[in-house]
Amino acid sequence: MAETRPVDVHPPYLYPDYKSTRLRAPAQPLVRVAPSPLETAGPVFPKRFVGESEADLTTWGTSAPLGENPHPVDDHDAPLDPNFLGKGQVLTDDEGRYRVVTVKPGAYPWQNHPFGWRPAHIHFSLFGNAYAQRLITQMFFPGDPLLAIDPIFQSVPEAGRKLLIADLDLEQGIEGVALGYRWDLVVRGPRATPMGV
Amino acid sequence: MPKPTPSQTVGPFFARDLLWKDGGIVLFPGRGDRMTLTGCVFDGNGAPIYDALFETWQADPTGRFPSGHDGARPYGYGRVSTDTDGRYAIETVKPGSFTGPGGATYSPQISVAIFARGLLKALHTRVFLAPIDLIKDDPLARAIGDLERLRTLVATPDPDDPKIYRWDVRLRGAGEAVFIEF
Repeated sequence: MAETRPVDVHPPYLYPDYKSTRLRAPAQPLVRVAPSPLETAGPVFPKRFVGESEADLTTWGTSAPLGENPHPVDDHDAPLDPNFLGKGQVLTDDEGRYRVVTVKPGAYPWQNHPFGWRPAHIHFSLFGNAYAQRLITQMFFPGDPLLAIDPIFQSVPEAGRKLLIADLDLEQGIEGVALGYRWDLVVRGPRATPMGV
Repeated sequence: MPKPTPSQTVGPFFARDLLWKDGGIVLFPGRGDRMTLTGCVFDGNGAPIYDALFETWQADPTGRFPSGHDGARPYGYGRVSTDTDGRYAIETVKPGSFTGPGGATYSPQISVAIFARGLLKALHTRVFLAPIDLIKDDPLARAIGDLERLRTLVATPDPDDPKIYRWDVRLRGAGEAVFIEF
């Protein structure tokens, strides 16, 4: 039985202020299809997903879905911390919780427009329980003045923007060591359909 | 109902960071005739897209979707990045046809998701591994209707090696592939 899909808060493909979309966004509308077994089934990951050695910064849970959260690797010549691998993989626990201990990323310059700087963010790549739930996104930090002028963040309809900003939640951190932030993610239902299907 | 978390681009570097060891070799528990799906991804100017993450998901040769893993990676799922020519290659088994809800028959096909800089959300589609004449009753083929557009989703066997299927993907403009939402 199809579920109704909630309000679409995803960005459009074409968002000209983010210049890379201009030649990569499809010009034709998407073709809508009912979810098939291709989308309602999905890959099953091992409980201890062993990637490529990046596990030192992660806390392992016990069940799906899998989240991967590499730090945005940059190519400008700021010094990198040799002890920081920049990515981690974690399985959410039975209640869907995850926890990642990392370093707080900084803003970095990019070539989209003159004097362009991306706001600090952490990339998240998620697999849910169904292929339809696959999501790659970015988490941002509260109070960052760069958010107001970042084309990638601003591409999200206004109703969705606050969903990408973590809340400061000190008790989620480590006493005397690490600030804590809380960021909940919601993935669509595997059988949710777009309007009109 | 809570709103879903919005998508954001994978960006220019992250695709590289996400790669799996041998991610272009799709694992299945049993043996099956191996095949390769390969081609290039192009932008609206026909330039190769060299920084895309290209993911595939599919049924096994009997049309069943795998629900396990080999201890390191899930069965049935492929993940590669495109190279400097925009080229990807996935070695896998040829999926069987399968039946969906309501009894619809799906032709042999592979789900493809493309993530890249400039894609604020994934592009989803399905590539067919059967000649166009044999897929006309597939639910997606019916939804597309137009044969010229459907042709953008049909991989063609290499004349010199029928185990190699070639499929180029144009994201925008002339020959633009059909992308889907589900």
